[in-house]
Amino acid sequence: MNVWNRTFIAIGCHSRRFASQAPAYGHLPSSQSPFTPKLKFFNSVNSDGSKIPTYRVLDGIGIPLEGAELPKIDEELARKLYEKMLLLPTIDTLMNNVQRQGKISFYMTSHGEEATIIGSAMALAPDDEVLGQYREMGVLLWRGFSVDAAMAQCFGNEEDAATKGRQMPVHFGSPKHHFHTISSTLATQIPQAAGVGYAIKRDPKRRGKNCAAVFFGEGAASEGDFHAGMLLASTIPSPTLFIARNNGFAISTPSSEQYYGDGIAARGAGYGIDTIRVDGNDILAVIGAISEARRRCVEGGRGVLVEAMTYRVGHHSTSDDSFAYRPRQEVEDRKNVDNPIVRFRLFMENRGWWSKEEDEATKERLKQEIMTTFKRVERLKRHELKQLFEDVYGGDEPWNLAEQREELSRLLRKYGADWKPWRQELDRFRGEGKEMIDK
Amino acid sequence: MNTYQAVRDAMSTILTKDDSAVVFGEDVGFGGVFRCTLGLAEEFGRERVFNTSLTEQGIVGFGIGFASMGQTAIAEVQFADYIFPAFDQIVSEAAKFRYRSGGQYNAGSLTIRTPTMAVGHGGLYHSQSPEGFFMGASGIKVVIPRSPIQAKGLLISSIRDPNPVVFMEPKILYRSAVEQVPIDDYSIPLGQAETLIPGTDVTLLTWGTPVYHCETAINFLNAPPEGLAKHVPESLRKARVELIDLRTILPWDVKTVEESVNRTGRLVIVHEAGKTAGAGAEIGAEIQQRCFLRLRAPIQRIAGWDVPNGLAYEKFHIPDPVRIMDGLIETLSY
Repeated sequence: MNVWNRTFIAIGCHSRRFASQAPAYGHLPSSQSPFTPKLKFFNSVNSDGSKIPTYRVLDGIGIPLEGAELPKIDEELARKLYEKMLLLPTIDTLMNNVQRQGKISFYMTSHGEEATIIGSAMALAPDDEVLGQYREMGVLLWRGFSVDAAMAQCFGNEEDAATKGRQMPVHFGSPKHHFHTISSTLATQIPQAAGVGYAIKRDPKRRGKNCAAVFFGEGAASEGDFHAGMLLASTIPSPTLFIARNNGFAISTPSSEQYYGDGIAARGAGYGIDTIRVDGNDILAVIGAISEARRRCVEGGRGVLVEAMTYRVGHHSTSDDSFAYRPRQEVEDRKNVDNPIVRFRLFMENRGWWSKEEDEATKERLKQEIMTTFKRVERLKRHELKQLFEDVYGGDEPWNLAEQREELSRLLRKYGADWKPWRQELDRFRGEGKEMIDK
Repeated sequence: MNTYQAVRDAMSTILTKDDSAVVFGEDVGFGGVFRCTLGLAEEFGRERVFNTSLTEQGIVGFGIGFASMGQTAIAEVQFADYIFPAFDQIVSEAAKFRYRSGGQYNAGSLTIRTPTMAVGHGGLYHSQSPEGFFMGASGIKVVIPRSPIQAKGLLISSIRDPNPVVFMEPKILYRSAVEQVPIDDYSIPLGQAETLIPGTDVTLLTWGTPVYHCETAINFLNAPPEGLAKHVPESLRKARVELIDLRTILPWDVKTVEESVNRTGRLVIVHEAGKTAGAGAEIGAEIQQRCFLRLRAPIQRIAGWDVPNGLAYEKFHIPDPVRIMDGLIETLSY
C-alpha cells in the first residue's frame, strides 16, 4: 500500500468521525501542506490582498510616529550621519558637473537615496563585506574611504587603486573597507554575495560575527542572478543580507513596468526568508530595520531581505536625461514632500542638535574641502601604460599577453614619436609610455 | 583507478590539505551523477561538500564570491552543456575579477569542474564540447585531461592555480579509462602540452577523448585493417605521426606545437566541437602565422560538423579514427 492510499483512507476516516465539525483533511507527507477541498488561488503575501507595510519611524517632517521605537542615536552619531548625508550629494553635484565639463567620462549620483545608503552603512558592522551595484558610494564614505580616492577612481588616474584606471567612474572597490569592486553587469554580485557570506561562515574568526551585505536596485532584482542568490543564501544557508534599493526607476523603466507583484519584498516569502519593507528615506527606520535584519542574518546564518523604498531624484547617470520620461514637477514634488536629508535635519533640529546656521556653514565647508581635493586630483596623470597588460592573470604570464605587449611596444616605438594623436595620448600616462617604448 | 575515481582522489587530496576548500554543485552530496564526489560528504562533512539548488549561474556566482575571500571553491556544473547560464559569471566576472579591481581582488581559488564531450547516447545536450567559447575569456584557464593520471594531476594543479580554471572532464572516460594512478599529492603543470608519440612527418594535435581515436587512426595508417587497406597508399604507411595532447586549451602551449610543426611541416588538429570557430581555428591561425614558410600542406581541422550533436547520427558526427586517418592521408599527400 502506498502513501497516497493511506492518505485517502485517512481523509475518509476523518470525515466520518468529525462530520459535524470543520474537518481536518491531513496534509502532504513531506511538506506538511494541509489539504483543502476549497479551490482557492492566492496572489499576495497577505491573505487579504493588502500591500506589505512599509516600516517608518519619522514622518515627512521628522516627527517620530506614535508607537515608533527609535534606534539609540546620540547627538554625536546623529551629526556624523547627517554630515555624511551632506557629503555624498556635495561630491555628487561636483562630479556631475565635472563630467559635463568633459573632465571625466561618466558619473552616477545618489540624489534622493542618501538615507538608504548612509543608514544601511551605519547599521552594518564596519567589516561586514559589502557588494554594491553602483549607487552605494555612501557606504564607502561612511567607512572612511577618502574623497581623494573616490575622485581618483573617477578620473582613473595614478592614485586610483580601486581599478588602476581600467573601469568607468563610480566602479569603486576597497578590500580595506570591505567593499567589493563594482562591476557594470547588474545583479552578478547577488549570488557572489551568498558565496562571500558562506566564506564568512567558514572562517572560524568571523562565523556568527559578520554577514555579506549586497545592494541592488529593483530593476536588477529582475535578473536571474537575484533568484539564484536568494535561493542559495536561503538553502545552503549563508549569512547574506539582501538590500533592495527600490528607487522607482531602472533608467527610464518605472517600477510599474518592472514587476507585477508587490515589489521585491513579496519575493522574500517565496524563499522562506525574513523580509521587511522600510521607508528608505527615513534614516532612523533604515537603521532600525537593517540593524534587526543584520542581527537575524548573522545569528541565523541565513538570507534576510530588506526592501528600502526610496526615489531616484537624479538622472540614472550622466548619459541620461530623465525629463525625457518623467515630468520635472514630479521630481520637484518628491524633493519637497519626501526629502531624506530634510526629514533627518528637522528631527535633529527638534532635538536641538542642529541649526540652520550650522547647516549652511557645513555645506559651505564641505564644498570647499571637496573643491580643494578636486583641484589636486584633476591634474594627476594616469597609471603607467604598461598597466594595460597587468593583472589579467595571477602567477606566470601567458605567452599571448607577453607577445602582445611586445607588439604594442613595437608599434609605439615605430609610430609613437611621429603620430601626434598617439603622442598626445601617451602624455596622459605616468612615464608617457616610456616603460613600453624603451628596451 | 578510473577517471572518476582519479578526480575524486584529487578533490580528496585537496580537501585534506586545504581547510578552506569546499565542493558544491547539483547532486554532489550523494556522490554526483558520475560518482566523482562519492564518499566526500561522508568524509569531510556536509558543510564542506554540499548540494546546491539547480542554478548554474548561482553555483558559479557563489563560487566566485567564495573565492574572492581567498577560500578554495570547487564548483561542479553537472554537464558542460549546462555551463551557458554561468557564461556571464565566468566571462564577465571571474575572468575579469583581478584586472578590473586593479589586482585588489581575484577569483583565483575557484575551479569549475564539468563533464564534457560525447558519450555515445547524449544527444544535443549531454555531448557538447564548449571549450572554444571560453578561449576569448582572457583571465581564466581551460584544462581538459585525457586519462585518470592526467585528470588527478591536472585537477590538483588547476585548483591550486592562482586563476579561475574551467576543468572539463571527458565523460566517456570516467569509467572506460583506467590507469595506475599514484595515490600521493602530485601536480601536472598547466599550459604544457604533452607529446605522446614522437614523429617526423605530420603533427597530430588534439585533446580529451579524441586522443584515443587519433591513436587508433595512426595504427590504421601504419597497419591498415582489411577494408581500409586499399585506401591507405603504401608510401604513407611508414609515415611517422607526432601525436600531441594539448591538455591546457587556454593558455595553450604554442611553443610545443610550433616546434613540432616546424619539424614536420604538417598539422592536423582534431576536436569534437564544431569546426567553425572551434579551438582549432585559433590554433590553426596562430601556427599558420608562425610556421608559414615551413608548412608543406594547409593546416587541417578534423572536427564535429557545424550541427548540433544529433543522437542517432553521433557515429558520423564525432571525428572517428577513419576520418582522422583520412585527414592524415590528405595532409601527407598534399
